[in-house]
Amino acid sequence: MGNVRQSTLEALTRLRCSIFQTTYNPTRIRTGAKYLRARLRGPSMVKYYPPALNISAIARQYPALGIVDEKEQQRFQDIIDRKKRGKGAPKKLKKNEDGKRAQKKR
Amino acid sequence: MPAYSNARVIRDMKARNGVRVNELARRAYLYVSRNQSLPAQVRHQAQLQLNTFGKYTRPSTVKNRCYETGRGRGIMSEFALCRFQFRQQALAGNLNGVKKASW
Repeated sequence: MGNVRQSTLEALTRLRCSIFQTTYNPTRIRTGAKYLRARLRGPSMVKYYPPALNISAIARQYPALGIVDEKEQQRFQDIIDRKKRGKGAPKKLKKNEDGKRAQKKR
Repeated sequence: MPAYSNARVIRDMKARNGVRVNELARRAYLYVSRNQSLPAQVRHQAQLQLNTFGKYTRPSTVKNRCYETGRGRGIMSEFALCRFQFRQQALAGNLNGVKKASW
């Protein structure tokens, strides 16, 4: 075995590569082929969350059906109730009006 | 859109979409960057280009979250549910082939 020439071994490797359809790469250089060979992961990643039924979107698209989003209705009702009790969101400031914080800073 | 969505779920969906859109370009740059038979300057340029891609284009940013609650830990990926939701759904008989075992 020790008497086998280097060139013979090389030729054998090359032949083996051609037979088994692998790339002849004696110096084992990194070719980056694995990044091209790997399957794309994006399409399956996007599918992870299955689509849910969006009632408000359907109601918006087809107003003729008269679908009512009960959750949204309840939310509006809650806002009205809160306003009645004086617990609503504060009024938005107009552009030139100064808020309390702005006055304090001076 | 999952049944329950908070900011983290929406961020995750954004990441998933970003990965899908940018995957081909990223792969091409990765190939050039990791290919040792190409000149070092070209590889470096490719690496610099890779660095310009945003945070939400990397596959490692994507994390499986619970479809029902948006929880990020203790997820059974096959069902896209966290462990508690998995138990509840399984007990309710909503998961095909899942049965409570006792021994």
